[in-house]
Amino acid sequence: MSVAWIGSQPVSLMDAIQNAAKLLASSRCPVFTLDTDVHGTRSAIALIERLGGAYDHALGDVLAKEVTLFTDHGGMFTTPGEARRRSSLIILVGDIPAAHHDMLLSWAGTQPDLGDRGKRTWFHIHGEMNAAAKLARQLKAVSLGAEGLSLGGALAVLRAQLQDRQVARSLGGIEQFRKALAKSQFPVFVFSGTSGDAPGLAMLQGLIADLNRKGRASSVFLPADDDAWGTALTSLWMTGFPTRTGFSNSLPSYDPVRWDVQRMIRDKEADLHVWVSSRGGETPPRGGTAAVISLSRTEAPASGAAVTIAVGKPGVDHDGVAYSSRIGTFRALAATAPSPLPSVANIVRQLANSLPGRKALPC
Amino acid sequence: MLTRLVGGEVVDPVSGGTSQRDVWIRDGVLIDPPQGETAGETHDVSGCVVMAGAIDIHSHIGGGNVNTARLLMPEHHAAHLPRPANTPLSNAGWSTFQTGCLYAQMGFTTVVEPAMAPYTALHTHLELADIPIIDKATLAILGNDDFTLSLLRNGKSSAMLDDYVAWVVGSTRALGVKVINAGAAAAFKENVRSFSLDDTVPEYGISSRKIVKSLQASVTRLGIPHPLHVHCNNLGIAGSADTAADTIAATEGVPLHLAHLQFYGYGTEGKRKFSSEAARLAELVNANPDVSIDIGQVMFGQTVTISSDVMRQFTAIGNANPKKTVIMDGDGNGGGGIVPYRYKQDYYGSLQWAVGLELFLLITDPWRVYFTTDHPNGAPFTAYPELFELLMSSGARDAKSAELNTTALELTTLASVRREYTVEEIAIMTRAAPARLLGLKDRGHLGAGAIADIAVYRKGRDIAKMFREAALVFKNGDLVVKNGKVTHYRWGKTLRLNPPPDKAMVKRMKDYHDEHYGLSLDWFTFPDSAISRDEPFAEVKCNS
Repeated sequence: MSVAWIGSQPVSLMDAIQNAAKLLASSRCPVFTLDTDVHGTRSAIALIERLGGAYDHALGDVLAKEVTLFTDHGGMFTTPGEARRRSSLIILVGDIPAAHHDMLLSWAGTQPDLGDRGKRTWFHIHGEMNAAAKLARQLKAVSLGAEGLSLGGALAVLRAQLQDRQVARSLGGIEQFRKALAKSQFPVFVFSGTSGDAPGLAMLQGLIADLNRKGRASSVFLPADDDAWGTALTSLWMTGFPTRTGFSNSLPSYDPVRWDVQRMIRDKEADLHVWVSSRGGETPPRGGTAAVISLSRTEAPASGAAVTIAVGKPGVDHDGVAYSSRIGTFRALAATAPSPLPSVANIVRQLANSLPGRKALPC
Repeated sequence: MLTRLVGGEVVDPVSGGTSQRDVWIRDGVLIDPPQGETAGETHDVSGCVVMAGAIDIHSHIGGGNVNTARLLMPEHHAAHLPRPANTPLSNAGWSTFQTGCLYAQMGFTTVVEPAMAPYTALHTHLELADIPIIDKATLAILGNDDFTLSLLRNGKSSAMLDDYVAWVVGSTRALGVKVINAGAAAAFKENVRSFSLDDTVPEYGISSRKIVKSLQASVTRLGIPHPLHVHCNNLGIAGSADTAADTIAATEGVPLHLAHLQFYGYGTEGKRKFSSEAARLAELVNANPDVSIDIGQVMFGQTVTISSDVMRQFTAIGNANPKKTVIMDGDGNGGGGIVPYRYKQDYYGSLQWAVGLELFLLITDPWRVYFTTDHPNGAPFTAYPELFELLMSSGARDAKSAELNTTALELTTLASVRREYTVEEIAIMTRAAPARLLGLKDRGHLGAGAIADIAVYRKGRDIAKMFREAALVFKNGDLVVKNGKVTHYRWGKTLRLNPPPDKAMVKRMKDYHDEHYGLSLDWFTFPDSAISRDEPFAEVKCNS
């Protein structure tokens, strides 16, 4: 089975590495799209620093929105474990990604063993009905919304109503919610970057801050994508900045507009796009004039890529470390089906060694 | 490889005192002068002071809360690039890479991250492993988790608590144990807003004092070299000196380390009801040989406070500058708060600055007072050179005092204290004493058999410059810094204890996590290989 291609032609791994290294060395502005585990990300960022490139995540837009909540606002948070053990009132906020539904459904079968220990009740605050509606039904969540209101609008109305302020229209379910809130010692709002826009997420945190003036409340942040959030965290400790960071004069700089890799490709600022995805089944986006190097979990060359190299998936083909929103931190992953496919870090190290100067990477 | 440092003034309070003599290194280890051998590499260090590499026992350099602070404050990192001298927080460097380099440039070769939440140990160690050059270590946080509190509430045996503490220390690869505002994080989840040493945690009915005393005893029984590291209750509030005094009195003949005592040095005198109690605390420390403390000195400028004392950080939200914060109610001992703060040269900032210096200068035994700013809480660690100058020069203190709020300084004894630290005392406080406190027999001195962690400083009138830019730094015998610049990158290790886990406790932990989190224990533990570096850890022995 081939693991490396130049164009559509199978080649040896060494030939593919050499060819990719030439493209990297001659690029005027290389950009990287990352979608891998901690160690793949570490090695890629080390290489990008050496190249003077920039990087983003494959889910850069929604990740940027989640990052913005922290860089611009902050908030009050708790972990899924603490919510499961302590919260008798859980409010789903907008759309919760399907990847988290099993965890939330599993909470329905448990009772808090700390705090008020009350029977857990669920609410769902929403704008127009969305993908979380099915989850809300499964959890028998009481609907908090009003016709024609966006999620941000509903959150604003809820915040106002809980402050006993005049509102033009009331939310359905508000009285039931007030009663549940009065009984619960540690209500928790569960949200994601897909839940709403940035002002809506900030409004949610404002609401939680209000509740904490006299009582307690918090939120569980479930990232739109765990691997994307893990990439942002890894980027933070390696460079001081989240994703959408580039290296100018060897120093990192963070700019969510300037270093939006898809924009850079679209605007022809970038002349080389390195697509790094160990997720499996993902292919680099088509279009643009930038040459493409694809490091991806694939059995075939990526369409339009100058070089394709197959890599393994952490936790499947090889061990890895990834962010898990289930525990709110990183988790070691043991390979479930070890294979000879190399890790991203392995390929990136070989690329670095093939660049002029042949200096080993620190990661 | 044989290396010789020639002509320097060696300051080594443990092995040989202060004298002009050569220092010899063979294969990364210090040796006695060999007979009839010629060094392969010789460095002329005449005109320089030669000390062991410095050790920082309390600096928040990695882990979930530190990373969240990076996430909250990217603008402060970016701001420094064009004008680094004006933005001290940014000067500290925010990345793991810069952390290692900046510490090494000042001659520090070992740094302890003092607040590792057990459930986020893997994250912490991933960050520490990416800090180049220096060795690292962590203290595992205990005292706010349901398991510990349940053991104490249910009157379980001290042996069971010991087994649990040993399991946490071993599985998280920690070098010791820290307790942070014992019981307060658990109480805060129950909407308790203030918490003192004899307050009890709702749900468990046990006092903060009981938690501290139980963990202090357990750490001692287990032979963990570093005494229990205590972040007391009531940090930062007027009157907190009473809490610190009560905690000092609670040592009862057993060692205890109090972290960042400066933040507890406040009384309630004066028009603003915020005064210095440093002299009283210093007296209490001087009179109690079981107590050691680090300072947590405040220096002026922008910083960000990072603490697992979530109750305290929540109350500080109103003082956030800029106005954005993160408060995290974590699992068990995790969580905390990130609150940006700017120390101004106003009444409060001036008083805090003076309290820290009073403690430094009035505590007489340099073996029991440790040099910290509680990075970044009091100031970034890059402020250390200026702090050395303040300790070694009463003239520098006077000059700085002249810029500050006189009303605040009049409520302190600082102006009357003329003590100046000697180089020998600096060597004790930043080398010999930390090594002894942490149980690190292989460093902190320049005797034969020690690892060759060496800092060479060029003597000069400008004390801050001398300590900011080490002339030479060796880490395990590798020359890593020359004339204040990193010349060689290497990867240090993370120092850890490795007490054997009790099998019954491991089973108990499996059952506990399965029952309460619906997850197997392996979600919370990790193999060394997860760090993805060759031999990332080095083992330190427990006392027998």
